Amino acid sequence: MTTRVYINAQDRIEKAENNLVNLYLHTGEEYLSLEPRRLFPVNMRHSFITLLSDSGEVAVIREISDLDKDSARVIEESLDDYYLVPTITKIVSTSDKYGTLRWTVETDRGIRSFDIRNRNHDIKVSKSGKVRVRDADDNRYVIEDYKKLDAHSRAKLIVHT
Amino acid sequence: MEANNAYLLKNKTLPDEAEVLISKTVAPNEKILFAIVGDLTLAGKYAQSVLFITKDRALVYDGGGGDIKSYPLSLMSEVCAKRMYGNATLSAKISDGKRIVLFRYTYAIAALCDAAALFINHINDGANLHDEMSVMEVVFERALSVCPKCGRTLLHPGAECIMCRSKVKIVERLFEYIKPERSKIMLCIILSLITTAMAIIPPTVTGFIVDVVFPGGSGGSGITPLNFISDALDGDSSKLLIAMICLLFATYILQYGIGIIRAYTFRQVGNRSVARLRNDIYKKAQYLPMSFYDKTSTGAVINRIASDSSTLQNFMLRITQEAVVHLFQLVGIIIIMLTLNPTLTLLSLIPVILIVIVTRVFGRKIRPYYRRIWRRWSAVFATLSDTIPCIKVVKSFTGENRSADKFKDKNDDWLEMDRRLGKLTTAFPQIVSFLVTCGSLIIWGVGGGKVIAGEAGFSAGLIVSFISYASMFYNPVTFFANLSDSFQSALASTEKILDILEAKPETHAESHIVPDKLNGKIEFLHVSFSFDRTKKVLDDVTVTIEPGDVVGIVGTTGSGKSTLVNLLMRFYDGYSGEILVDGHNIQNFDLSAYRAKIGYVQQEPQMFSDTIFNNIAYSRPDATIEEVMEAADVANAHNFIARQPDAYDTVLGERGVGVSGGEKQRISIARAVLMNPSILIFDEATAAVDSETEHLIQEAIDRLIAGRTTLMIAHRLSTLKRANKIIVVDGGKIVEFGSPDELMAKKGKYYKLVEIQSMTQDAERMKKEERLDI
Repeated sequence: MTTRVYINAQDRIEKAENNLVNLYLHTGEEYLSLEPRRLFPVNMRHSFITLLSDSGEVAVIREISDLDKDSARVIEESLDDYYLVPTITKIVSTSDKYGTLRWTVETDRGIRSFDIRNRNHDIKVSKSGKVRVRDADDNRYVIEDYKKLDAHSRAKLIVHT
Repeated sequence: MEANNAYLLKNKTLPDEAEVLISKTVAPNEKILFAIVGDLTLAGKYAQSVLFITKDRALVYDGGGGDIKSYPLSLMSEVCAKRMYGNATLSAKISDGKRIVLFRYTYAIAALCDAAALFINHINDGANLHDEMSVMEVVFERALSVCPKCGRTLLHPGAECIMCRSKVKIVERLFEYIKPERSKIMLCIILSLITTAMAIIPPTVTGFIVDVVFPGGSGGSGITPLNFISDALDGDSSKLLIAMICLLFATYILQYGIGIIRAYTFRQVGNRSVARLRNDIYKKAQYLPMSFYDKTSTGAVINRIASDSSTLQNFMLRITQEAVVHLFQLVGIIIIMLTLNPTLTLLSLIPVILIVIVTRVFGRKIRPYYRRIWRRWSAVFATLSDTIPCIKVVKSFTGENRSADKFKDKNDDWLEMDRRLGKLTTAFPQIVSFLVTCGSLIIWGVGGGKVIAGEAGFSAGLIVSFISYASMFYNPVTFFANLSDSFQSALASTEKILDILEAKPETHAESHIVPDKLNGKIEFLHVSFSFDRTKKVLDDVTVTIEPGDVVGIVGTTGSGKSTLVNLLMRFYDGYSGEILVDGHNIQNFDLSAYRAKIGYVQQEPQMFSDTIFNNIAYSRPDATIEEVMEAADVANAHNFIARQPDAYDTVLGERGVGVSGGEKQRISIARAVLMNPSILIFDEATAAVDSETEHLIQEAIDRLIAGRTTLMIAHRLSTLKRANKIIVVDGGKIVEFGSPDELMAKKGKYYKLVEIQSMTQDAERMKKEERLDI
C-alpha cells in the first residue's frame, strides 16, 4: 500500500485519446492514458476525482478548482464525456402500468421516454429539491430543483414520489 | 428466634414445615447464609424441598415430610451440580469417598445450585466467606427475575410483571403519551360539544315544522323551544318555513364546519402521540442487550414497532375522535328525549337492551374467528417467507408444483375461514339495523296511538323528531358495545410494546471509566456463562492476553469461541467471574466508549442500505473523506470502490449493485480500520470467501493488526499464520493455551486439529493434481 498522490496546481493534465488524460507530475513522473472518475458522482461532482490506470488508482484530485486552468478544463471535459446525466427540465407525460412507470421528459439533451422499475429506489428526492432518477436500463437523470419545474411537471412528479 | 430466621438469601418463601424443622435443627448462634427452595424430592416427585447452607454445614429438607439431613461442609469434597435431562442434582463426595446426592431439582433453580456447589468448594478450599457471599448475592438477585405470581420471566430483577399488573396501569402508561396534547384535546372536546349540540337540533326543528308550519299540524303542542320564533313571525307559515330552513342550514354549516376542524385536530393529537410512542420504542430497541434479541425474534420487534403501534394508533383515534363525540351525543340525546317525553324515551330503550345483548353475543362469537383467520393468514405468510427466499432449493429439487400446492392449500384454508366469518359479519349490521327499525315501530305504535287518541303532550311532530332521535341514539350504543373489542386488542398491543419499553437496557455501571486508549491487556478470570439454564457455554475460563498479542481462537463448532468474544464485546453481561481489560473490569467502562475501542469484523459482514461511504464512516461519522479513503486503502477496498459506477456514492443493497461477499468484507474491515481500535476481533472473517479474496483480506488484516491486541476466531488454521498465541476451546473450557510451536510440541488437541486440516488439504491438492493429470 503506497501513500495516495494528490494532484495540485503544479501538476499538469493533458488530453489523451477518447476521454482519457495524461498526467505529468511536477516531480517529473508521467502517467499516460488515465481515466478520470468521480469518487462521489452523486454528491460531489467537482471534488475527489480519481485517475485510474488499468492497474488501479494513480492519483486523486481533491478539487478541480485547485488545478491550473487548462488541466481543469481537460478534466471537466473528460468527466462530461464519461458521465451522461441529462437534466430533466419538463415532465411531459407519465403513465403507470403494473407498477412500472413510463416517463416522457424534456431534458437539456432532448426529449426522451424511459421506464422506471422501482419508484422507491429509482426516484430519490433530496431535501434541497434535487431529484435523481434511474431508469430501467440504469441510465441516470437529474432534476436540479423540482420546485422550479412548471406546475404540470410538478403535479406529475408528486404522483409518483 | 432472630438467628434462625435471619436468612441472608433465599429464592422463595420457605415451606412452613421446613421453617419449623430448621428452627429446631439449627443452633441459635448458627447463621444460615442462604436457602434454596427446590421443587423436587430426591425420588423425583414434585414437592418443595430446601437446601440450607450455614458456615459449617449443608442441611437438606427433602419435601413432603421427613427430617432435615445435615452434612458438615468439611467432610464434603468435589461438590458438583450435574445437569441431567429436565432435572439436576447436587452431589458431593463424603469422607468415605462415596458420592452421594444431596439435593435434586429442576432447571428452574439450577443456576442457584451451580453457584451453591462452587460456594461449598471454594469455602472448603479456604476462600474468603465474605467474597463468596457477594457472588451468591448476585446469583440470587438474578434468580429473582421471575414473577412470583405467574412464574413468567421478568424484564429485569425486581421489575413489575407485565402479565400481572393492573390494566388501569397499562392504560395510564399509554396516556403518558397523550398528555402533551392536553390543551388540544380540551379544544377538541369543546368543539365536540358544539357539534353534538348542533347535531341534536335538526330533529327538534323537523318536529316543529310538522306540528306548527305544515297545515293540519297540532299547532305547537310538543316542541316548545321554537315557539318564540312562531310568535315573532305572527304564525306566518311561509315565513316560518324559510326561517326553519335557514336555521337548519346554519346548524349544518356549524356542525360540519366545526366537524372538519375537530376531526383534523383529533387526528393530529392521535398521530403525534403514536409517533412519540414509536420513536420511543425504536430508540429503546437500539439500546436493548443482545440477550433480548436472542429471546425475541427481530421480526417480532419490528412488528411491535410497526404494527402494534398502528393498532394503538387506530384505538387512540377511535377513543379521541369517536368516543368523545358518541358520549356527548348519548348524553345530549337522552336529556332531550327525556324532556320531550319520558314515556316514549323508556319505550325506545327496549331495542337498546337487545342491541347490547346482540353485540356482546356476536362479539364473543366472532372473536375466535378473527384469531383463526389470523392464524390461517400467518400460515399463508409462512409458506411465502419459507419458499420465496429458498427459491433456488425449490427449483433444484423440482419442488415448484409442491410449493404451489402447499400454498394453495393454505390459501384455501384462509378462504374457507373468511367465508364463515363473512356470514357473521354481514349479518350483524343488518340485525342491528333491524332492531333499530323495530324500535321505531314501537314508537310509531304507542306514540302514534296516543296522537290519534289526542292525548295531551303527543303530536305528529313529536313522534317524527322522536324517531330521529332514537335512531341517532342507537349509533353511540353500538359504538360502545363494540368498543371493548378494540380495547382488548389495543391492550394486547400495549402489553407487547411495554415489553420493549420497560425492558432493561444494556447495563451501565455506576463508575464510568472512559478509556482514551486501551493498551489491550485482556484477562478472563473464572468466567462462566450460560444462555439459558440448561448448558454452560463457558465454564470457568481463565486466560491472560498481553498487549499486542495476536491470538488465534480455535475449536470445534459450538465450543464457545464466539461466546468468548461476545462477552468481551459486552453483548452479554450475565456471566460469573470477571473480564478485565488493562486491569479494569469491563463492566466499569462506559459502554459506548469501551466498544468504540474494539474493532469487530464478523463472518457475515452486515451492511446498511446506504452509500459505501456512509457504511465505512458508520464507525466514525465525523471522519473526513481522506480518512475514509485511507481506511479503504488499508482494507484493500479503495480500488474496487473507485471502479463502481457510483464509486463511494454507491448505495448498497440496490438493484444492479455488484458488490461481492469478499468486497463487503473489505468494506467492513475499512469500517473497523477507520475507528482506529485498540483491540481487534475477527470472527471467521475469511470463512466465506474464495482463496484470492482471502489473500486480499488477509493482507488487509495484516496491515491492521500491527501493534494491536487481536483475537482471531478461525476454522481454517492457515489464516492464523500471524498468531503468536493460540487458545484451544473445547466444551466451554480452554484446553490449551500457548504459542503455536509450544502447542505443536505438546501434541495435544491443537496438534490434532493441524494434522487433520493438513491431511484434508493434502487430499484436496492430490485430487486436484489427479484431475490435472487426466
